[in-house]
Amino acid sequence: MKKYSILSVIALATAIVTLNAQEGGRAGRAAASITNVPAPTSPVTGNASAGKALYSTYGCYACHGFNGETGARAFVGRWGNLSTEQNFLTFLRGRANVAPLAPSTSMPSFSESALSDKQAKDIYAYIRTFKSSAPELKDIPTLNAILEAAKQDKK
Amino acid sequence: MAKSQKTSVGRRGFLKNAAAGAAAGAAALVTPPLVDAQGQGQGTAPAPARTGVPAPTQAQIDRETGNVRPPATVHTITRPGSDLMVQTLRDLGIEYVAANPGSSFEGLQESFIDYGNPPNKMPEFITALHEESAVTMAHGYAKAEGKPMLALLHGTIGIQHGAMSVYQAYYDRVPVLMIAGNDPDFIAAHTAHDMAGMVRSYTKWDSEPKTIDEALVAIQRAYNEAITPPMGPTLVVLGSEIQKDNAPNTKIPVYKPPVFVTIDSTHAREIAKGLLDAQNPRIAVGRLRTPEGVQRSVELAELVGASTSTAATGGPMSFPQRHHLCGPGADTTYDYTLGLETAGAQASITGPALSKTAATRDTVHIGFGGTVPGEGGRGGGGGGRGGRAGVPVAPPIEADAEASLPLIIEEVKRQMTTDQKSRIQARIAKHTTANHEARITAITQAVESKRAGWNGTPISTARLYAELWPLIMNEDWCLSSPSNFSGGHHVQLWDHNKPYSYLGGQGAGGMGYGAPASVGAALAAKARNRIVINVQTDGDLNYSPGVLWTAVHHKLPMLTVMHNNRAWHQEYMFVEYMAGVRGRGDDRAHIGSTLRDPYLDYAKMAAGYGMAGEGPITDPSKLSAALKRGVASVKRGEPYLVDVITQPR
Repeated sequence: MKKYSILSVIALATAIVTLNAQEGGRAGRAAASITNVPAPTSPVTGNASAGKALYSTYGCYACHGFNGETGARAFVGRWGNLSTEQNFLTFLRGRANVAPLAPSTSMPSFSESALSDKQAKDIYAYIRTFKSSAPELKDIPTLNAILEAAKQDKK
Repeated sequence: MAKSQKTSVGRRGFLKNAAAGAAAGAAALVTPPLVDAQGQGQGTAPAPARTGVPAPTQAQIDRETGNVRPPATVHTITRPGSDLMVQTLRDLGIEYVAANPGSSFEGLQESFIDYGNPPNKMPEFITALHEESAVTMAHGYAKAEGKPMLALLHGTIGIQHGAMSVYQAYYDRVPVLMIAGNDPDFIAAHTAHDMAGMVRSYTKWDSEPKTIDEALVAIQRAYNEAITPPMGPTLVVLGSEIQKDNAPNTKIPVYKPPVFVTIDSTHAREIAKGLLDAQNPRIAVGRLRTPEGVQRSVELAELVGASTSTAATGGPMSFPQRHHLCGPGADTTYDYTLGLETAGAQASITGPALSKTAATRDTVHIGFGGTVPGEGGRGGGGGGRGGRAGVPVAPPIEADAEASLPLIIEEVKRQMTTDQKSRIQARIAKHTTANHEARITAITQAVESKRAGWNGTPISTARLYAELWPLIMNEDWCLSSPSNFSGGHHVQLWDHNKPYSYLGGQGAGGMGYGAPASVGAALAAKARNRIVINVQTDGDLNYSPGVLWTAVHHKLPMLTVMHNNRAWHQEYMFVEYMAGVRGRGDDRAHIGSTLRDPYLDYAKMAAGYGMAGEGPITDPSKLSAALKRGVASVKRGEPYLVDVITQPR
């Protein structure tokens, strides 16, 4: 079993807290704004093409969307634990959800026997290709129409 | 195996076997269990089936398969009991009866479609393809209109088909009126000594009257029980004899409306005083019973100038979301809060919980979902719905908030001084401005957040709801399907100003709800120039796709927009999680929780049921135009389906 340094555990705990704060609740309850933290520039060693298949096979899209932009756990623009390949690996291996009896909606751990380092690095390489597909608000007529209608409705 | 199947007397299997036998020739129909050893089937005593239930006789088979006509009536029926039953329902204002046909109510069905002038109106017979759908139609209708329609069920088998929907309506505290037929002289497996016993644990009241007079009283009582808090489904079992018996001199009893429990005059005075003396009163509105209750809550809020909270984004019959008093108001320090069907205020009026019903029903040893008195959960708690208001709080007053509102309004009018009137007007003006600003702030944040994944493929659920809104915002619309699995983006983007704007969840979380509930909502909408929007999850539709045919057949204004993520996605995530925490990886989590290999084509499914539609749509730039075609179609009274391949959430 992998051992983690005190620092990495602290970093992990911080990352989890950060992620949980970002996760928010149901869309209807909280309008999380889009953050535009630039994509990381740290080195990538995996194969993005192989990672694309793994992203689907391992169901990453289930919580993070097919593009990392949707769902309660979108990460494009809020890279946090994904800032480096090593951070991603640490996060993946060491999530705090240790075998609870009841399913929760938190992200589980992925042991090395379930997902190898190579596979994880491939997934990371694929994730790093994600970019925001969100246009500027001014360029989305539908959303502007909704906003304008609300402004004019002065009951 | 063949032997036991053929002795089984399930209606559909029975018909199927009989039909297959007929196709193979008459000899094939005469299988050993159905005839005696000499092959003299017709008129012989029924052979015992493996379960101990008598198998049908040859005469019964012939009757069931239509080979012989029913026994000739030996006397002239001038006024069958079922005509009176239908008239009683008509007098109660029952608009629709949904049913999948069954021989145990053939007398009633004939009256529904032939009795009266015009016949088949009030109620109109709605053809359901499954009893579960029939009951859920009634569930959706009641949530939209605040009153029951009727679901008609075949004896034993129809009741059991509908049982899950009955449970959902019970748990949702929605009034659904049900009648089941019972024909003790026909197929034994379709009769029971205590027909209602199968669903007694999750119905509010039931009866099996033995005479026509008793039946008419029972129908009226069942209606009253259904609409009286805690509201819920009720069932009357009607024997085939009293449906068909002649009743030339029977009179329909005078209907007596139910009495709703209200607060007393002392409470009304205290609440009125609290609202009027407060510098910044608040009214927290949960889920009321009817549109009239919603109107009265608006009247009270406007009268006292109270800012309000609403449950309208979570379900029907609550305060209009965009009313100028709905919102945080100019000052969020509330010094007196009145809760209407919601607890946690200085004064809260909440109707009785399901535990009140459970105490008189056969539920204690089942104990599902907290409906046992003293337990937690939806049914056993204080009865409140909706959000909590300020603190400190007082124990809720157990009464019907809607019925209590006129007393409070009257008392407010009596106590209000001229000074208070002017102060209230000034407060209303401040609240109006503040709430409008709050709304603009909220919707600005919302549209900003909905940009995420806007141009992505598959299509984001936020974009799906966003593209719908400009197309319907100037229509009279009803969002009929639960949004809990599709992101709930309407909560932030749409205006929920009508009692039926959003009909909320399934009740007990059971699947197979969205489409039939939407058909029920569309029945309510049809005569009211309203359109129904059904954002339909794919897993849910596959429980009851036959309702698409019902929508087409009855020309219902229902737009179905598929939130097609090709999975029972919540379960997929649960399995993923479980595999993850056990260290086994998620690469097999799709087994049993996804809908792939092959993908389902919902536009083709709709076409199979005669419904116009299009898709699958994967390109977000093509979504709006498709939805526009759909809205145009339903405004013509033609239901439409748009299959949209979406992000999981």
